[in-house]
Amino acid sequence: MKARTVRLWSVVHTWTSLISTVFLLLLCLTGLPLVFHHEIDELLGYAPQPEAHASAARATPQAVADAALAADPGRVMQYISWDKDEPGIVMAFTNSAPDGLPDNATVRAFDAVSAKLLGPVGVGPMLIVLKLHTDMFAGQAGKLFLGAMGLLFAVAIVSGVVLYWPFTRRLRFATIRGHASHRVRWLDWHNLIGVVTVAWALVVGLTGVVNTWAELMLNQWKATELASMVAPYAGKPPPAHLASLDDIVGRARGAAPGMEVAFIAYPGTPFTSSHHFAAFMRGDTALTARLLKPVLLDGESGEVADSRALPLYLQALLISQPLHFGDYGGMPLKMIWAALDLFTIVVIGSGLYLWLARRRKRTSARADAFARRAPVPS
Amino acid sequence: MHGSSDRSRLWIRVFAAPILLAAATVTGLLAALLWGAIGQYVAWVTVGAPVLVVAWVWVRCRTQKTGQFSRTIRGK
Repeated sequence: MKARTVRLWSVVHTWTSLISTVFLLLLCLTGLPLVFHHEIDELLGYAPQPEAHASAARATPQAVADAALAADPGRVMQYISWDKDEPGIVMAFTNSAPDGLPDNATVRAFDAVSAKLLGPVGVGPMLIVLKLHTDMFAGQAGKLFLGAMGLLFAVAIVSGVVLYWPFTRRLRFATIRGHASHRVRWLDWHNLIGVVTVAWALVVGLTGVVNTWAELMLNQWKATELASMVAPYAGKPPPAHLASLDDIVGRARGAAPGMEVAFIAYPGTPFTSSHHFAAFMRGDTALTARLLKPVLLDGESGEVADSRALPLYLQALLISQPLHFGDYGGMPLKMIWAALDLFTIVVIGSGLYLWLARRRKRTSARADAFARRAPVPS
Repeated sequence: MHGSSDRSRLWIRVFAAPILLAAATVTGLLAALLWGAIGQYVAWVTVGAPVLVVAWVWVRCRTQKTGQFSRTIRGK
């Protein structure tokens, strides 16, 4: 590699890293507790616990919806969801209007057997950490900005891999020059940790970028696929009275055999039309449990209106979520995720240190040269 | 001819370990997603491999330092 090419890649690596440094540090620092958010919520008492029951007969979906509305008088139902990892709990989302802002929604957990209110969900200190991590309290603009920082991170990683060759070709793999200066030792650690974590950092970084586009993708799906699914019902008013949720769940299961309901969106919410319930079905394997299939049902009669697989870009979004969160391989994978997150912090921190050290060295060299050139006073 | 083969040998020497670790990481990330419980075990080993490499280098550096220190003390 020519010296000029190295210099060019070095400029790309330096500036893509420097511009994104502060935000990447924020993402890594907030991402670390988010890896363990279930455990932290449990520890702090913010995780609702299901009651112990002798009977396994589950409360009907309508009973849970009624309990949710009774717990939040004057508001309307938006969504009801069943988490496959927490079968004892049903979650209900209420809001001031069906299309109310996500930030105004109240999420409550209900016992899956007795339909008793267990408590609020998504409150406590982890909510602040989550908001900082996803949009820095700046809404969609904050999300897109962090997505752009994620793209810069990816460019920094690729340029870092290119620069790995000229910096390490004379060294054995994993060499840390212990006798060298502090700066060289940190350069070796920066190169080693950076190159061994490159695949993980790229996957987590790019899936994070994809996640920042979630709302845009959802809007695209609504404008194209969903619009064509509900086209035959164009002009129909919102339902005067809603079909029973029990009926909706039963018919959705019938329309997607072998699948379970992951969540139901009420008519008028962002995930469906103003006239339809949308039941999002999931499979039972590790992969199909994440690839949701929507079933649209008439809001009044409960009849199945249409069902189509999600487009590729939304499937990519659904697959990218576990790859970003690292919550799909049990506690050992979470621990590994946390270690890799810490390594990324070290790589970012050492990169910043190396840049500052090089700057200081250049400045003092320039000052020396200037002092040598300056005329000596007689 | 020699120059080119030397260069590719050098390239392999520099990038072989990082490429293997990257392949292991990607395999593990997908394994846990596609193969259920068995995939999880694969992921623990393969995604954890970079962590083990860094831990091994750190321990090696520490023991080298301790060794040098002991030799210095013994020498005195």
